[in-house]
Amino acid sequence: MTFILELEHVVKRFGGLVATNDMTFAVYKGESLGLIGPNGAGKTTIFSLIMGEHKVDSGSIRLHGEELTGLPTHKRIRRGIARTYQVPRPFADMDVLANIEVGLMPDSLIEMLVSPFDHAEGRAIARSVGLAEADLHRDPAELSMGDLRKLELARTLATRPEVMLLDEVFAGLTSGEIAQISGLLKEKRQDGLTYVIVSHDLRSLEPLIDRAIAMTQGTFVCAGSYQEVMNDKAVRMAYLGH
Amino acid sequence: MTSTINWRHLLLWAVFLGGLALMPQFVTRGTLRTFIFANYLAIFAMSWDVLSGRTGYVSFGHPFLIGIGAYTSAILSYRFHVPVGWSIPIAVATTMIGGTLFFLPALRIRGSYFALVTLAFMELMYQLVQVIRPDLTGGTRGISGVQTLLRGAVNNYYLSLGLMGVIAILLWSMMRTRLGTALSAIGMNEEAVEGSGLNTTKLKLFAFMVGAAVAGIGGAFYVHYLGSIAPRALFDVNFLFTIIVAALLGGASTIIGPMLGAFFLTFLLEYLRPLLPGAERYFIYGLIALLLYMYEPRGLYELFHRGRARIFGGRA
Ligand SMILES: Nc1ncnc2c1ncn2[C@@H]1O[C@H](COP(=O)(O)OP(=O)(O)OP(=O)(O)O)[C@@H](O)[C@H]1O
Ligand SMILES: [Mg+2]
Repeated sequence: MTFILELEHVVKRFGGLVATNDMTFAVYKGESLGLIGPNGAGKTTIFSLIMGEHKVDSGSIRLHGEELTGLPTHKRIRRGIARTYQVPRPFADMDVLANIEVGLMPDSLIEMLVSPFDHAEGRAIARSVGLAEADLHRDPAELSMGDLRKLELARTLATRPEVMLLDEVFAGLTSGEIAQISGLLKEKRQDGLTYVIVSHDLRSLEPLIDRAIAMTQGTFVCAGSYQEVMNDKAVRMAYLGH
Repeated sequence: MTSTINWRHLLLWAVFLGGLALMPQFVTRGTLRTFIFANYLAIFAMSWDVLSGRTGYVSFGHPFLIGIGAYTSAILSYRFHVPVGWSIPIAVATTMIGGTLFFLPALRIRGSYFALVTLAFMELMYQLVQVIRPDLTGGTRGISGVQTLLRGAVNNYYLSLGLMGVIAILLWSMMRTRLGTALSAIGMNEEAVEGSGLNTTKLKLFAFMVGAAVAGIGGAFYVHYLGSIAPRALFDVNFLFTIIVAALLGGASTIIGPMLGAFFLTFLLEYLRPLLPGAERYFIYGLIALLLYMYEPRGLYELFHRGRARIFGGRA
């Protein structure tokens, strides 16, 4: 078993607030890891640090053993990691297919000028996340929350990540939509995708993850199987207050 | 955003450009001069749209770029007798360097801060032009007697129309590529573009370079049409707003929108002139722009589209 993503002593402060307080953990290749913690625990911040959207104050973040800190976000994505956003914010004036195709673009001005749009690939990715053909030429504003989450997944998958950071992919979805996205995530795992998933919906999370890490107030609490973590005294305190 | 060619669209373009090409047959020389101004304004509005309309980095200092183009070519040709065949390309290159200066604040700031910094660029240029080397720039009075490229309204009309047409076609082709899509995406959600693995700094720099090049071409040709240049008229807030309002009024993020907006505004200002000789005219057009913006924020282009759809059917 090798680690694909490692965080070591990562610290991030926002003014006086320590949003990430000396976090150390690692993700195995092919693993599905749940990151849980109450509101404001600092889960989203960790994703932003891994992606380079926020700069770490100290500590190390490595992908495939190589240091990521210092790299701009787009370069991290080219190294095989990507995230989804808790609040999907698609490109509002582009149709669904065009949104996905932004994720397929090469990062070279010349190639962007001369290479044609890859509609076939865009369609295939849309299909793979369960977006209907009829939705492809809709504006994102016309989509349901479930379809918006699928679009967010599709645009992210288009960058061909090996590791995906999924932030609250179930929030605001019907149980049918949750089942659909869960099914999709299981499938992607069989294709070799590694992911870290954040969700407040613990019941939906449980069957998806191999292992869980709990945190509160920017600090690591414990790690283990889902059951072990949920039975942990400190976790029960943080979550349920008893 | 489809990438297949829309034939009805092309037909509209052909009618639009064809109509403009026949214009000298029907109108007076005076009206033709107004059209020449409209063509240049359209070039400036398209330039503004590439830089600001697409990426969302709203420039309040566009005359800064236009001024670099105009002054460079005017100084080279008038003071140093450089042939215009050289002075214009050099002016365009210099404007692109100016575009890089513009780009530096865009690395750090966005929104109204960026707009303010670019406004400061324009003001600074206005002040500097008058005090630094007035022997070259002509100081407050500017330069007159700059070599003109062609004689007569008809010739100059065709030159300006040709320039506008070529620039429009080039920009239109560029915007249809993946690069054009990515530039528009930056205006909608820059993080998500970066989060799609694209270097947004590089993309923005490209947009700024293209916008600056177009502003430089427009500025240089315009000065060789007028034969003179004066800082007061160029680095002027009214001029700046005319450019921005033309782009927004016509429909930002389209090619034909800024052109329609430029024609509409130019003629509006022209017809208001006898009624309101002073700066009040700008108040009226501001009001019209505001009303249109409230009623149809996508601009004239969208109104035009809907009107057409109502008459011929099809997409609204
Ligand atoms: N850009 C920022 N500037 C200042 N404070 C921030 C910023 N981003 C997050 N925070 C603060 O950092 C803490 C952690 O926030 P974060 O969004 O990472 O929590 P979270 O675990 O994702 O919460 P939730 O479950 O509500 O999404 C919060 O107290 C939040 O207010
Ligand atoms: Mg969060």
